[in-house]
Amino acid sequence: MTDIDRHGGLMELDQLLDLYRDMWLIRAFEQGLETEFEQGNVPGMLHTGLGQEATQAALASNLEATDCFFPDHRCHGINALAQQRHKGDGERIMAELFAKSTGVCSGKGGSLHSADPSVGNFGDNAVEGSYLVTVLGVALAAKMRGESTVACAIFGDGTVGRGEFHESLNMAAIWDLPVFYACVNNGYAIATPVGEGHASADIVDLARGYGFPCEQVDGNDIVASHAAVAKAIDHIRDGNGPYFLEFKTWRWQGIFAGEFRPEAEVKYWREDHDPILMTNDMLTGMGVAEDQLATIESEQRALITEWIAFAKESPDPDLAKATADVYVQWEVKN
Amino acid sequence: MTDTQIDSTPAEAKPKKPRKTSFTKALNDALDLGMDRFPEMFLIGEDIGEMGGDFGVTRKLWAKYGAERVRDTPLSEAAIIGTCVGASMVGMRPVAEIMFADFLGECYDQIVNNAAKVHYMFDGQFTAPLVIRTSCGGGFGGGPHHSQSVEGWFLNVPGIVIVAPSNPEDAKGLLLASIESDDPVLFLEHKALYRARAEVPEGYYTTPLGKAAVARAGTDLTVVATMRMVPMALAAAEELEVEGISVEVVDLRTIRPYDAETILDSVSKTRRAVVANEAPRIGGLGAELSARIHEECFSELLAPVGRVDGLDTPIPFSVPLEHEILPDQSDIATAIRTTMEASR
Repeated sequence: MTDIDRHGGLMELDQLLDLYRDMWLIRAFEQGLETEFEQGNVPGMLHTGLGQEATQAALASNLEATDCFFPDHRCHGINALAQQRHKGDGERIMAELFAKSTGVCSGKGGSLHSADPSVGNFGDNAVEGSYLVTVLGVALAAKMRGESTVACAIFGDGTVGRGEFHESLNMAAIWDLPVFYACVNNGYAIATPVGEGHASADIVDLARGYGFPCEQVDGNDIVASHAAVAKAIDHIRDGNGPYFLEFKTWRWQGIFAGEFRPEAEVKYWREDHDPILMTNDMLTGMGVAEDQLATIESEQRALITEWIAFAKESPDPDLAKATADVYVQWEVKN
Repeated sequence: MTDTQIDSTPAEAKPKKPRKTSFTKALNDALDLGMDRFPEMFLIGEDIGEMGGDFGVTRKLWAKYGAERVRDTPLSEAAIIGTCVGASMVGMRPVAEIMFADFLGECYDQIVNNAAKVHYMFDGQFTAPLVIRTSCGGGFGGGPHHSQSVEGWFLNVPGIVIVAPSNPEDAKGLLLASIESDDPVLFLEHKALYRARAEVPEGYYTTPLGKAAVARAGTDLTVVATMRMVPMALAAAEELEVEGISVEVVDLRTIRPYDAETILDSVSKTRRAVVANEAPRIGGLGAELSARIHEECFSELLAPVGRVDGLDTPIPFSVPLEHEILPDQSDIATAIRTTMEASR
């Protein structure tokens, strides 16, 4: 397929089926996790990517293991897909969320700090927006070494309130760095609507002044999102400097106090504009049987059930891990 | 011979004066040697390029190594340190200059939550071999935001290394060791020391991190000091020698993790201690060292550990007011006498 086809949003049926499978992996992962969390089996806090499956699948399927991405709080799905695609061990993301020794960080990082550089995952940071400047260094190193790495920061709309957002876009622009800004605008920073927290509800408006390409896409449309990501990555890999892409999407998860958004809005995003239902319609329109689609869903749910069992059966980290790796050159003695 | 007379002695017949190097030049030499040895090293900061930095520490390096490796930035401290963290996570060795330590608040998150933690929280999968050089300390009328001693801001942060030289020879060796370090280093340069001159060995050498130095041997009392407090403690020791008090001075050199062994060995011998640090007293380095010495040497101590530090205030612009607040040689001498007199 030519670049024009990729960027124009044309897609082969097999590829769309693959992405549909990826989206179901994300949804099954998050729903399974949510159930376990409610039962008290998952420590800490939980931010799910439910509702954002198209955005996440589009990103995960376009990033290579030699690229680098910094995932946000809701990126369990991207982390798991990267792990599964490049190493076949997506269950280690689940195990990390259960704080187990088999997790990608042996349970020391958890949901907000799962990383595995061998699949390009440079880890989330619980301080939202912090890695918007960290990504500059990975990009600068790639540029200085003449590597074609794409350094991608995946971040929510709320993060844009941080000063680091502007420091980062400015520095990437003046140094022409290979940074992919993947802004996941899911409508709310915790409970603050995007239009109340920022000068524009369209984050792309805030990025345009820095002078590199800035685009917006329906983050629930898998075909459009996949094409938009492919275009961004090709632009960066071809040495053209930074690229900003805003995904318009919506998160299912409310806040700890429950649902706080208008009923009509909830209905629109969860029913009329659900990324999986939208993709399902596309596929049936292309002649794929409902049975085949139902099988994809049940296979992914079964896989996640296995992953959860693996996580629960895995041992806690060895207590020696508590003081390991504080420094490279010294042991910590208390 | 008057100044106007021509000295006709041949150059080779003149006695060789020991070559003295400033603290600033020693740091500059270390950066030059590091850049030459490590292709993965680069310098980054505000006006460190053609201008050579606010204090001239990076002078001439831009001309020698080019703008790619001696990289000027906008006034974006978070982005400077963020860039260092990201680059070091993929194997580069960045050395940042933050013009004044007071500005570290702008990049505190990157230092404390990223640089100090990526090795630990990601289970050893990353290291952050970066150095953050910064000018600190007062005594010259710099005012509240150009004079602070910031070691206390970072003392409670596991994962960070805090290096604090007191003389040109150590400045060079410690900076090269910091560049070699696979742990992130906050490298404190006291502004009052930049013009200090001393003999400095030629060529590449490192001074070990995490090791204090006994700067002066003595038998009656140990002063544990950092940065500018070290030359002040040495001068106080000379002053007290005349009074018959023999003072040992331990130059901490690395503040975190600090060399407890050298401190405790010295105090076990002298049985008295004074800790001297320029930062405000509460929650500072002096509190930690004093507590540690009391805990581990209690039965040997002949007197409570004395503390010399800054008053618990911000730093005012007026030089007389600033002198009122910052500790000096006479404060150290007084603390030594008081500790001697309090001995059981």
